[in-house]
Amino acid sequence: MEPARHATEQTLMRELGLDTQNIDRRKRHFTFGPDDVVKLVALRPIVAAHAAELVDVFFDQLVAIDEAKTLLSNHELTDRARTMKREHLLAMVGGTYDASYVEQRLRLGLLYARAGLDTRVFLGAFQALVRSVGVRVMREGGAEAFDRFTSFEKLAFFDVSIILDVLVYERERTIRQQQEAIRELSTPVLQLRNRLLLLPIIGVIDTHRAQLITDGLLRSIRANRARVAVMDVTGVATIDSKVAHHLLQTVSAARLMGAHVIVTGLSSDVAQSLVAIGLDVGRFNTVGDLQGGLEEAERILGFEIVQRQGDHGVRVG
Amino acid sequence: MVPVLKFGDVLVASILAALSDEDLDELRCEVVESVGRFRARGVIIDVTALDVLDSFATRTLRGIAHAAQLRGADTIVVGIQPDVAVAMVQLGLGLEDITTALDVEDGMTLLDERRRSRHGS
Repeated sequence: MEPARHATEQTLMRELGLDTQNIDRRKRHFTFGPDDVVKLVALRPIVAAHAAELVDVFFDQLVAIDEAKTLLSNHELTDRARTMKREHLLAMVGGTYDASYVEQRLRLGLLYARAGLDTRVFLGAFQALVRSVGVRVMREGGAEAFDRFTSFEKLAFFDVSIILDVLVYERERTIRQQQEAIRELSTPVLQLRNRLLLLPIIGVIDTHRAQLITDGLLRSIRANRARVAVMDVTGVATIDSKVAHHLLQTVSAARLMGAHVIVTGLSSDVAQSLVAIGLDVGRFNTVGDLQGGLEEAERILGFEIVQRQGDHGVRVG
Repeated sequence: MVPVLKFGDVLVASILAALSDEDLDELRCEVVESVGRFRARGVIIDVTALDVLDSFATRTLRGIAHAAQLRGADTIVVGIQPDVAVAMVQLGLGLEDITTALDVEDGMTLLDERRRSRHGS
């Protein structure tokens, strides 16, 4: 387990671009220099003496907040978080703030991310912790207390910047995974009648998916010898100008292959945004809804649907 | 060289391999000339075998269609491959005013339909 976890943090550090250079740059943002290290080390006795109490402050703050319940309801996770928070606190006054220090922050950040800890909640609790340290230091830190606490604060912000990066990155990872999932939902091309294809599109279309749709449609036109294809975009909430342009190209390309494309189900939002984009809508053969589109397609193909007299009901048995 | 075959009153020109610009010019002369000679009412140009349709080829096709039209024949371009279609659209090489169809068979059907609707009206 341990080596694997280690690997995760290493990857994460790479993905976040946290190399030695980046860490140095980050420290410069907080004007964190060698004299800060000296001052932090001087705080070590105070923080070490009150470590347990300070960790409690952090978790007491969490207990008071509903959003943190996921983290706290899991005892194993809480215990680990407590241990790590204590290590974190001691490391803050430990004097070395290198890559392995950052890695420790990442590990904590990852733990919060997995527990679904909200950034607001985390910031609140962390602020409480820093405040308590401040109170302690002011009370017992002697003449240089304020300077020393300033150094501590710099480091605290440095840590927060890393943990926030992890939280945000993990959240973005979820979004990326969902996008991937949507993309992988195939866009089927269905033969509805002889020489009539139906292409229902659901979800988000980005440039990549638009490309897949174009490819799939054109290949199916050839394979099924289609003359009409109905592209139904009822399930598409937004179409941006790039995608609209791509769809237009698809329509034109299908046209070159001798097939009509009928676009149906443009929602009012999509329709208005297409007009706002200034797209040449005339090039789209559009019909309001899927039913209308299919009727239009059947008309082009010369089909005529007739309902038999006296046969309106569903027969049972 | 592109063979121009006659089926009833329809001429079918099947392009079997990539053509140079000179070949395309020659094809245009040949087709437009044949329309008159055979009193053709329709022309089908089959480009199934082509991997590329560049701007010159597109222009030639359009030229054939317009000239044939003037001599009384409808032109249908058939067999544009999916990749070729996408590339043409991306390069902005449209065949806006020219009828296209999937293959020769479809082209024939389309010409038939047109003739019938013209006779009907």
